[in-house]
Amino acid sequence: MISGLDRKLLRDLRRLKGQSVAVALVMGCGLAMMIMARSLIHSLESTRFEYYESHRFADLFVHLERAPLAVAERAARIPGVAAVQASIAVHVTLDLPGVDEPASGQLHSLPDRGAPELNRLFLRAGRWLAPGSRGEVLVGEAFAAANRLRPGDRLAMLVNGRRQTFQIAGVVLSPEFIFESRPGVPLPDSRTYGTFWMFYGELAAAFDLDGAFDCLALALAPGAAERPVIDAVDRLLIPFGGRGAFGRGDHPSHIRVTDEIRVLRIMSIGFPLVFLSVAAFMTNAVLTRLLILQREQIAVLKAFGFTNRQIAIHYLKFALVMVAGGTLLGGLGGVAIGHRIVDVYTLFFRFPELAFRLDRSALLWAVGVSAAAATAGVFVAVRRAARLPPAVAMRPEPPADYRPAWLERTGLGRLLSHTFRIAARNLERQPIQALFTVAGLALATGILIVPNAFRHGIEEVLDYQWDVVERQEIEIGLVEPAEIGVRHLLRQLPGVTAIEPVRNVYVRMHHGHRRRQVGIQGLPEGGAHVRMLDAASRRMELPRQGLVLSAKLADALDARVGGELVVEALDGRRRIRSVPLAGLAEDFTGVTAYMEIGALNRLLGEGDMISGATFTVDESQRGAFLRALKEIPAVGWVAIKDSLRDAFRRTTAASIGFIQRIYLVFATVVAFGVVYNNARISLAERARELATLRVVGFSRREVGAVLVTELVLLALVAVPLGLLLGAGFASVIISAVNTETVRLPLVLTARNYAFAVLVVTLSSVLSLLFVLRNLNRLDLVGALKAPE
Amino acid sequence: MNSDFNSPDSSPVLRARGLAKIYGEGEAAVRALAGVDLDLYAGELVVLLGPSGSGKTTLLNSLGGLDVPTSGELRYRDFELTGADEGRLTQYRRDCVGFVFQFYNLIPSLTARENVALITEIARDPMPPETALELVRLGARMDHFPAELSGGEQQRVAIARAIAKRPEMLLCDEPTGALDVRTGVAVLEAIEHVNRELGTLTVIITHNAVMADIADRVIHLSDGRVHQVRQNPRRAPVHSLHW
Repeated sequence: MISGLDRKLLRDLRRLKGQSVAVALVMGCGLAMMIMARSLIHSLESTRFEYYESHRFADLFVHLERAPLAVAERAARIPGVAAVQASIAVHVTLDLPGVDEPASGQLHSLPDRGAPELNRLFLRAGRWLAPGSRGEVLVGEAFAAANRLRPGDRLAMLVNGRRQTFQIAGVVLSPEFIFESRPGVPLPDSRTYGTFWMFYGELAAAFDLDGAFDCLALALAPGAAERPVIDAVDRLLIPFGGRGAFGRGDHPSHIRVTDEIRVLRIMSIGFPLVFLSVAAFMTNAVLTRLLILQREQIAVLKAFGFTNRQIAIHYLKFALVMVAGGTLLGGLGGVAIGHRIVDVYTLFFRFPELAFRLDRSALLWAVGVSAAAATAGVFVAVRRAARLPPAVAMRPEPPADYRPAWLERTGLGRLLSHTFRIAARNLERQPIQALFTVAGLALATGILIVPNAFRHGIEEVLDYQWDVVERQEIEIGLVEPAEIGVRHLLRQLPGVTAIEPVRNVYVRMHHGHRRRQVGIQGLPEGGAHVRMLDAASRRMELPRQGLVLSAKLADALDARVGGELVVEALDGRRRIRSVPLAGLAEDFTGVTAYMEIGALNRLLGEGDMISGATFTVDESQRGAFLRALKEIPAVGWVAIKDSLRDAFRRTTAASIGFIQRIYLVFATVVAFGVVYNNARISLAERARELATLRVVGFSRREVGAVLVTELVLLALVAVPLGLLLGAGFASVIISAVNTETVRLPLVLTARNYAFAVLVVTLSSVLSLLFVLRNLNRLDLVGALKAPE
Repeated sequence: MNSDFNSPDSSPVLRARGLAKIYGEGEAAVRALAGVDLDLYAGELVVLLGPSGSGKTTLLNSLGGLDVPTSGELRYRDFELTGADEGRLTQYRRDCVGFVFQFYNLIPSLTARENVALITEIARDPMPPETALELVRLGARMDHFPAELSGGEQQRVAIARAIAKRPEMLLCDEPTGALDVRTGVAVLEAIEHVNRELGTLTVIITHNAVMADIADRVIHLSDGRVHQVRQNPRRAPVHSLHW
């Protein structure tokens, strides 16, 4: 049976339903974020772990020129190595019917017999390669989906310069390519880049690699350390053109998923923190007000022998009911949003099956954290109520001690209206309550800034950065580095208006104990295509000597401008040189090192070479240009800025955009919740006072003006503070979620600030209208009759 | 009615000696009680009379364990109230005392029946809420909320709430103070009825001297002291009162 006190609880809650719902909603927003993020972390981590385990994802990877298969057996005997898989991976260009731009990809070998030791494939559609067959390939799902390829379709590839047509046997997934993008390019463009597999025998024959391999994957024995094995593998493979072994930490697909998990981790802590603090504020405001109104009731309960504990628990239950409501809303919301985000993930993460898995511990956390926040919010108020001696509680609160507001004391008083005086004095008499309202409004304003900062950051990347920073339209990579003279030939292609040479080289960069495997981009001095911006968005010139690093990379290496980095070329002569760090560039995708092309070539000691070029092309001849590229076997890959931008819009921007929209809804809920709550409370607390004003002859309009004046005064303080706070939130959150894959610039526009002010103003006006409507229904006689 | 409740050999239910209560400190100190000696006996109906500021409410609050006297001695049977901690005072109020306040102090969110039930839930040996409400002749309006009841009816609910746990003592602070004569009489009738039916020691505070006639004993308080104690030869019927 429901106890009398609980019945009172239910009735009181019903009376306070608007405010209770507001609190539960705000809490729910924070919890939804937390449950969603923690569940997605759980989903991604567990799915990836299971996928890696079941399909034997390797721990170390290395590319080399070529080595006999016997070398792989020697690698297997290195202490700490549990298994190896030698294979061939080669670059191919594709000829897709009806597509102007050349597509390219990587073709991997599969053992002629049996499944590979490591990095096993998952068959999504069709069948495996038929034993002994020729002319069959398996296609990675991302490319197949983007180009609508199905098992049985035919695919034309330029294999080692020879055009061959293959039949697609099946569509597959690989734990190596959960995130599939061209090596060195952080953004995916599945339409023009794909991954393919065929039997070793057929591939080796085509590339004259019989009995040899150019790609090695290794699994570590349980407990084996990575670094010594990498060093041993490198020593073994250097004579065979080994390009430096690297672990999962340098594996592009692995990094990408890890980055996503890292972002989720920040979201699972940072965002709920803000929302739950606001909710705690609101719970406190609601309960404090309730306790003041129920002073006499508390006294009666105590007079009749209810203990302090019983009373404290009774009022704590108020908070806990809101917590329960918030948790329910948060749980449902979190699960719903999580499902949607998983759908977005499947656009660029390729798992055999990525399902939303609810992290049950997150629900417990949600209850715990929000209960703690609510309890913290009401603790002081409840304790004060419980401590009230019953006889004191029975007497009404002594009349508040009012005095002229400081504004009046400055001598301006004569100029002020009565309405203004009442409002100002009231605020000054209750500084704590005023402070809470200001804090709540400021928080609401502040969190409204964040989602649009994200949106404007994306717009900035899409429009400004890609047009201002990267002026080229098309970039190509050559199969092998070539003499710089080749650019004159490329200049002759149809429609070329400008061409600049590029030298890309894969290196291992050391600074102290830290090291990373990255590409250095050699660019011409004073080049117009690829530009670098410094932290203040000023254009940077490439120094004659030394490196410019992505700021994020310098961060990862813990390197500072002026310091020395050790650069170990993983190609060609494999020179090791010390190079000064000359500057930091603020770029937004991937991490890169930049160097003047001449300086880079001198460093490599291989003469004036280029590995690719950037172009601007006459729009009208673009088709002809791309078709011509298709005919040049030396061109390994082509990156078209517009299609990269398009892919970015569809994947990364879409996922950030989706979260941003949710966040915007949440921020708006908080803004409305805070203002509404505040207006309700001030109406309830002041009912007698306002009724008295009406009784002594104030008009409705004049009485309403008191409340409006109060809110306007508070808003005048709160909103500017909130804008500052919002700038802080945005800067902290954006820099926290910036990853090596994608970084957003912090863009704070007047439009963004105006939007926040608009939403807060709008919610304030709506809340006020509501309150004014209630004011009209004020029972003048009843309000005055209440005991005091 | 117990006729020898003040005979020397029957021991008092409540015994006060030199009870003093001072609010505030130093120059602002207010002496609300200045040494009250008082005995209250089982089953009697006592009216505490005095002008406002005479210390009536302070005395009642002390007797009921709502407030702690500054000095003096206060004993309920074997229980020493002075110096008792909050927990014991709560237990005392829960088990032994029923309160009726001038402004009823009902929980507005609960119906009449629920207001009474709220208290019977924590009582040791309560009567059913319905019985208590019948006793104050409110059986027909049990499921009304306080806002739907008249002032007199609300006060009768408050009485029912106070007596439903069968307290040994009922303390009423100006129970008719907010009511007109007709409803005031009805409320007093309810109190008198309870006193007679249940034998509950009943103390009524009032500044209305007319009410003194319905009491067994009348205690006059002024300036925080017992000024005079008067024994009525017989209690006047409540309906005969006029003010």
